[in-house]
Amino acid sequence: MSSLDVHPAPSHRLYRAYARFGFLPTVLVILVVALALFVPRFLTVQNIFNVLRSSAYLVILSAGQMTVLIVGGFDLSVGAVVPLASVVSALVMVWAKGVAPDQTAIIVLLGVLAGIGSGLAVGLINGLSVAFLKVSPFIVTLGSLSIATGVALLLTNGIPVYGMPQAYVNGFGRGLWLQLPTAVYLAALIVALVWFIQNFTRMGRYLYAIGGNLQAATVSGVRTRTYLVLAYLFCSVLAAVSGLALTAQIGSGQAVISAQLTLESIAAAVIAGVSLKGGVGRVEMVTLAAFFLLILTDAMDLLKIDPRIQTIFLGCIVVLAVALDEVAKRRASVD
Amino acid sequence: MTDAIFVSKAGADRRRGLLDWLLILSLPLLMIAMELGVYAFEPRVLSLRNIVNVLNQSSYLVLFASAQMMVILTRGFDLSLGTTVSAISVASALVMTGLAAAGAPDFVLVAAGLIVGLGFGALVGLFNGFFVSWLGINPFVVTLGSLNICLGLATTISGGRPVFNVPDVFSLLFYNGVLIPGLSIPLMIAILVCLGLYFLLNHTVFGRSLYLIGNNPRAAYLAGLPSKRFLGLAYLACSLLAAFGALMLTARTGSGEPNLGGSLMLESIAAAVIGGVSLQGGVGGVGAVIMGTLFVTMLSNSMDLLEVGGYIQQILLGCVIIVAIFLDRLRLTRG
Repeated sequence: MSSLDVHPAPSHRLYRAYARFGFLPTVLVILVVALALFVPRFLTVQNIFNVLRSSAYLVILSAGQMTVLIVGGFDLSVGAVVPLASVVSALVMVWAKGVAPDQTAIIVLLGVLAGIGSGLAVGLINGLSVAFLKVSPFIVTLGSLSIATGVALLLTNGIPVYGMPQAYVNGFGRGLWLQLPTAVYLAALIVALVWFIQNFTRMGRYLYAIGGNLQAATVSGVRTRTYLVLAYLFCSVLAAVSGLALTAQIGSGQAVISAQLTLESIAAAVIAGVSLKGGVGRVEMVTLAAFFLLILTDAMDLLKIDPRIQTIFLGCIVVLAVALDEVAKRRASVD
Repeated sequence: MTDAIFVSKAGADRRRGLLDWLLILSLPLLMIAMELGVYAFEPRVLSLRNIVNVLNQSSYLVLFASAQMMVILTRGFDLSLGTTVSAISVASALVMTGLAAAGAPDFVLVAAGLIVGLGFGALVGLFNGFFVSWLGINPFVVTLGSLNICLGLATTISGGRPVFNVPDVFSLLFYNGVLIPGLSIPLMIAILVCLGLYFLLNHTVFGRSLYLIGNNPRAAYLAGLPSKRFLGLAYLACSLLAAFGALMLTARTGSGEPNLGGSLMLESIAAAVIGGVSLQGGVGGVGAVIMGTLFVTMLSNSMDLLEVGGYIQQILLGCVIIVAIFLDRLRLTRG
């Protein structure tokens, strides 16, 4: 802080601009350069391909989580919406295939709609409870997490659902456009959409306003309840989309998909500087943070670090990232 | 300060109407209704054996829910509780089996198990408390980090496998020994812990301060309370209670289990919140935790007796959590 005072104004401004983006891009660049230099297999096409694809799912999920965090909420249920959408879409596709085996387009459309519908249902429960009954988002989404997991398991008995149209699995899930997995384009599209909403629409501004100060937003005439419900709906729908993309890649509907998804999505958002108090968060940073997490995981895989030790490492990184952010913010406010 | 809290409580009592009493008694009434309803289909539910069984089962959850309450009172929560339990179970079992293999006498085994278990708990509590209270980081992020760290530790040091052959003397002392005929040791410990906590929360400066810190952190700070120290101590107390519960569970299973705490984090929060501990901080007590724990245990016991499947139980628990938070909201807005 004191060292900053002696700096002339231009570098001060530079520092401010730098602080606005945070340290994440720098850390990311250093990480990538270090990995490229010291881990030989990191810069292979196959590896970059893998990192991009696995990041895509987390980016979609974290963009949704960020939206809810911005309005001062939480969504623990995303980790259950992913398998729920997976199971529901697969079951509907298998059913539709039995009714009309030749209508692949309609089968896929029905499955996708059903999957997104299941996301909408969970989002509606979360959103309505938070907006109208004003109950803690933590508990509501804890409840819907339990419910959605139970429903997904009940529908399948925990057995994977096979028999989706090959066109869906090979064409979309495992397909490539211009050498890249389709999921990457889907994620890019969603990030662009969220970025547009955040920066150029009334809804985007309102979401920040609600998270910054709910009371003030209400008094200013923002229909806060509607926007709260929309935020939760949006988050669940993105989780469902992520589930659909994963299902298409795996080739079956799974009631048990990684239990860590919720935590990872929150970790990515938090590392990106999204405030858990609401009102702060940008989708481009969240995208970078999701990349950061998965590049790190990938590097540890390449270095043959035991996945169990990786867990410890990730835990430390989440806490450290936020601690650094907090300390930097305090300095800025003293400044 | 203590007086102020009591006075405002007494003031509210005078204005209580019929509906308020119904809300306060909703949980006990619901429990009685549930047990009578189940009795109609399955008389065994009210047999002495089953009631004793329910009480014994509750004695573990009540410890974890009380641990969770200590931090929820201060507007926090502890996501790391479940994996802390797993890590402690494994660590203490490893030390005890190692010493037993080296031929150490019984009292050394038990002492070593207790020291390692409680010491590990203290470390986790200090970690959480340090970051939450001194660095002012959101408890969600901090305990999310320690969740991952403990998960990694639990699976690494055990190699992912249970640690068998925990010395019989340990199980005798904390599980199946007989000190007072008719009263199991876990239940006795649970009762003692509840009495101790009741005293701590109601008759010590530390306990009363926790309520004020949760109700109004700014007022607590201005009143000159050592808020940071007390907040840190709350996390320490939480992890120590969890550690003790972990040792008792280890004594019951007779092995160190890396997955022991799997669902405990959610269950402990659910039990506390269903009992009426408010996530807004400052509301709750030992009585609330006992009621919540009994309700959750009775519900799962009744469903087991009625042979309801595990998936449906999960869905129902989710619904119960959401309903409980609605009731809590009603109570708060009327109070």
